[in-house]
Amino acid sequence: MLITLPYIKRDTPIHRLDPRAKLLLLLAYGLAAAQTSNVWLILAGFVGAACYYALARLKWSETRRAWLFIIFLNVILVFGNYFLSGGAIVQGIDLSHQHQLFSLPFLGFLNHPPYIGPKPLVFSVESITYMLTMGLRNFSIAFLAVAIPYTTNPGQIGVAFKQLGLPDQFAYAIDLSFRFLPTLARDFSVTLDAQRARGFELDKLRGGIFGRIARLAPLVVPIVIGSVVGAEDIVNAMELRCFGVGRRTWLTELQTRPVDRLLMALAIAVFVLVTALNILGNFYASGPLHLLHEQGLPAFLLR
Amino acid sequence: MATTEKENLREREVTSRVWGIGVRHIVYMALGAALYGIFSYFTNILQLPSAGNVSFRPAIVIPLFFGAVFGPWVGLFSGGVGNLLGDYISGYGVYWNWDVGNALIGFIAGLVVYFTWGVYRHSRSIVLAEVFAALGVIIGIGFASYTEIWLSKLTFVTATTGYLLPAALSDLINGLILLPILLLAYRAAVARFGR
Repeated sequence: MLITLPYIKRDTPIHRLDPRAKLLLLLAYGLAAAQTSNVWLILAGFVGAACYYALARLKWSETRRAWLFIIFLNVILVFGNYFLSGGAIVQGIDLSHQHQLFSLPFLGFLNHPPYIGPKPLVFSVESITYMLTMGLRNFSIAFLAVAIPYTTNPGQIGVAFKQLGLPDQFAYAIDLSFRFLPTLARDFSVTLDAQRARGFELDKLRGGIFGRIARLAPLVVPIVIGSVVGAEDIVNAMELRCFGVGRRTWLTELQTRPVDRLLMALAIAVFVLVTALNILGNFYASGPLHLLHEQGLPAFLLR
Repeated sequence: MATTEKENLREREVTSRVWGIGVRHIVYMALGAALYGIFSYFTNILQLPSAGNVSFRPAIVIPLFFGAVFGPWVGLFSGGVGNLLGDYISGYGVYWNWDVGNALIGFIAGLVVYFTWGVYRHSRSIVLAEVFAALGVIIGIGFASYTEIWLSKLTFVTATTGYLLPAALSDLINGLILLPILLLAYRAAVARFGR
């Protein structure tokens, strides 16, 4: 059992981007998208994120496992949220009255004992659009998030964090943790095989939930304690080489290109603009400054 | 006067032992994060029946253990970067609020070092470690779950029933069972190797 990091070496515009620009874009977009449920704005973000992902030229066969997981989770998340809230899921939007399409008899949370009882599940134009918006938002964030491990060299992550202003110790620890991965994966595999030879079956643990967890100990304990004891040698080696005494230099240094700087500036500008509009929208009941607080439904849907 | 100086010295020693970051801390931060990432990677496939990205993670014991033994910074790093690594090598991407939530778990579990100095010879210190671990899990998972209300526009009920309850319960059960086992094993290993 070996760990293969998902990074795929390829020459695409996204692979060439500075890791800091990718991280900043993801963070800025996620925080901006959280501030609105306007279907048109989220749709625009979704199209932009999809184009970004397409530029990475990642094949379905390479990312299949991750996408199946994300699609499954998002479907559960969107529908689960709808059912658990009894259809009353529209948040942060001015809704004087909903345009109800139909309702189904369902169970819901009540304000009085027994707190759960019959409650109609409302399907309105607004709530269905909201579900669609939720899905689009989650998938657009996933487009940006999934692209990172497949297009970023893990060797650049520590340097990227260092150049983002993280202290040397933390940046070096990030770098070191990536280097530990193959060794620990091998230890995991060796320990699992050794325990299997003694009759330990990870897939067939017997007993109740508590017993099953306790029976994981023969796998967890040797790996963790063995690694901790073994790491003392690394500590000694680093101390002997006077690690941390002087200022640390890095072999690799990331250089931003104009396109990286443009992307970072754009990400920050969009985030600032959206935040400003979100705040201003509280003081205006309508008009362009209220845009983020509206769902933006077309008039023909509301007739 | 002498008493005040002694108190000052002791205070400085406590601050340095709990909050200082030396070579040992850096190595254990990296090791904790890598172990959490590896264990999460192998258990990420075991999903819980819930609304979102919640998996059955015996690996949660790693940031709890590293926090309890090596202090809050090591716990914070093991939790935060370990979660990031687990999602990274699984190819799922980067989800900052869950990274911060996991960092909080390790950080709060690590505050127990104020009382135990990272030494677990008596059942009292192990119980203390369990209490801080439970607090860490509740606060950390609570943070990650409730930020989803804002980030993914979930309702409070969905965030609670879909994220907080399954994730916190699973992490509490896993963490509280495996943590004392690891602490006792670590004590035995330290005694054997004299380190």
